[in-house]
Amino acid sequence: MAQHARSGKSPARWGVVTVLLVVAIMGTLWVPIYARSAPKLGPFPFFYWYQLIWVPVSAVLCWICYLLLRSKPRTRGVVPR
Amino acid sequence: MSHFDAVAFVIVIGSFLIVTYIGFASARWRPAEDPMHLNEWGLGGRGFGTFVSWFLLGGDIYTAYTFIAVPALVYASGAVGFYALSYTIMVFPIVFIFGPRLWSVARARGYVSPGDFVRGRHGSQGLGLAVAATGILATMPYIALQLVGIEAVLTTMGIGSATGNSFVRDLPLITAFAVVAVYTYLAGLRAPALIAFVKDILIYVTVIVAIIYIPGKLGGWGHIFSASEAHLKTVNPATGKPYGSIVVMPAGQWAFATLALGSALALFVYPHAVTGVFAAKRRDVIRRQAAMLPAYSLMLGLIALFGYMARATPAVNAGVKANGGNPQLSVPLLFEHMFPSWFAGIGYSAIIIGALVPAAVMSIAAANLFTRTIYKELFSPNATPAQETRVARLASLLMKVGALGFALALNKTFSINLQLLGGIWILQTFPAVVIGLFTRWFHRIALIIGWAVGMTYGTVVAYRTPGGGQAHFGASTAPVLGHVTYIAIVALILNVAVSAVLTVVFRKIGLQDGYDETRRADYTADPVTVPAASARPRTPAVPATRPTAGADRVPGGPVPGSPAPTAHTHRGP
Repeated sequence: MAQHARSGKSPARWGVVTVLLVVAIMGTLWVPIYARSAPKLGPFPFFYWYQLIWVPVSAVLCWICYLLLRSKPRTRGVVPR
Repeated sequence: MSHFDAVAFVIVIGSFLIVTYIGFASARWRPAEDPMHLNEWGLGGRGFGTFVSWFLLGGDIYTAYTFIAVPALVYASGAVGFYALSYTIMVFPIVFIFGPRLWSVARARGYVSPGDFVRGRHGSQGLGLAVAATGILATMPYIALQLVGIEAVLTTMGIGSATGNSFVRDLPLITAFAVVAVYTYLAGLRAPALIAFVKDILIYVTVIVAIIYIPGKLGGWGHIFSASEAHLKTVNPATGKPYGSIVVMPAGQWAFATLALGSALALFVYPHAVTGVFAAKRRDVIRRQAAMLPAYSLMLGLIALFGYMARATPAVNAGVKANGGNPQLSVPLLFEHMFPSWFAGIGYSAIIIGALVPAAVMSIAAANLFTRTIYKELFSPNATPAQETRVARLASLLMKVGALGFALALNKTFSINLQLLGGIWILQTFPAVVIGLFTRWFHRIALIIGWAVGMTYGTVVAYRTPGGGQAHFGASTAPVLGHVTYIAIVALILNVAVSAVLTVVFRKIGLQDGYDETRRADYTADPVTVPAASARPRTPAVPATRPTAGADRVPGGPVPGSPAPTAHTHRGP
């Protein structure tokens, strides 16, 4: 039996996952968003606290994607041909 | 010059002895029925669940690069060093995309290295060899970086470097490495997987204490940032430009973004990161890791800030200057001046063990790669699993010797360049490995030529780039079309472009493509239970767990010495 990653997962679900992952990646890839010192958080320039906050944000995005795509444990480990 | 601190020294020796004991004892952890199988030695039985995988992958990824090289760059040049944080943020969404497919196809086909996969997928021994050789080459400077990290700590502790005799100077480094080499040899991937626990506890304790304790001692974050900014604004007499900036300047944004993206794409093509993925028990473990590993990214971000703390500590600046302006010393010196001796010892231990664990994993991964893709393919197609394991053990020793040579020979002004240089090379295997997971459109020969073009371009441009006081291999960024860009990205674009154009040409002239031994379903396969001794499947229902990569080449059935005469069922007729 093929354990298709896509089986049982609607295209909408894959769309959401794609969007979330793109957001997670672009959040720090697009440098002009955060290459600035204001607004400061306490003594921290924006450049630093934005990146540090983006760490848990991207982790949460990945976790949501994981939950969306999680497969149910199965009892047999048959590898399909 | 740093003075010798007996208390810190005793703590470092003590923790080193503890991890050495764990390393040797790990051979008996989750004992294998057949320890002389490459799945056992090289992949820890392929049975690591979420918990162990998390520590192991973290141990792979957060290395002396994190504790020494990144803060050194931040210390010297400011904001640009934070590309590393950006890189470790975007790497996990990226691995989320392709990691599960890579895990599945490797499990379904018994692959133990990226070279294995590429050979099977593209039906090209040459491409497999190219990927394997690139992996080994790129891993060496990365291991060398670990050595540079250890050396920085030893120098700060006043061990070795004070003497002019080069043998005595390098002796502690060589000894430390020899011990790791021996227990890696004996226990395989189990050793670093267990030691990774100790390593992470030490690191988390050190970082959390440092981030709470040091800023108060230095007069707060406000002072730390302003002292760093004051330094970064001053003009570097060597270049005539400021040392750096506290926020990335518009002119530096291309370099920042491409360094981050290039490093992120490269990380999970490195053999050691692939090994960490393959060692996972379940497909879902990979995705879960992508959401849980960012805890390490947070650590990396905080450790990068150590660079600024060091800058705001006058004693560290004096110490760096006294040692020939070596910024690698900034974090160990920070520990020396800010912590009481005993806690400095803990911090030093964290850095040393944090360098040894990945060095072990990297050499095991390179050894898997050598054994499966080079030794077995070229020299001994009939090798038994036991022979393979023996060869892999020897290869892991050779990798360490090679890296030691790299570390002793190369200029270490900016050790981060060692990692970035490795990144230029390893990224050239991205089309064959990662793009290959999704499409077989590319022609195998086009991929080989694209790889060769990327490798040549990357190496030549890196060779021509001066920096840090050396004429060659001085930096990993170079101007392209008016933007300073990470060389790896430009080389990758060339690589893909050449591969694409040649694929079209080769299809037109009808040049024969390779046979793809993988099947569509392999990429989503998720076998649940894998026996601990995966060399002995109890039923033919799990042929996937048998390493069959070479077996299908042998006429007349199973490999001699192969314990189970399971038919090679999953190859197409």
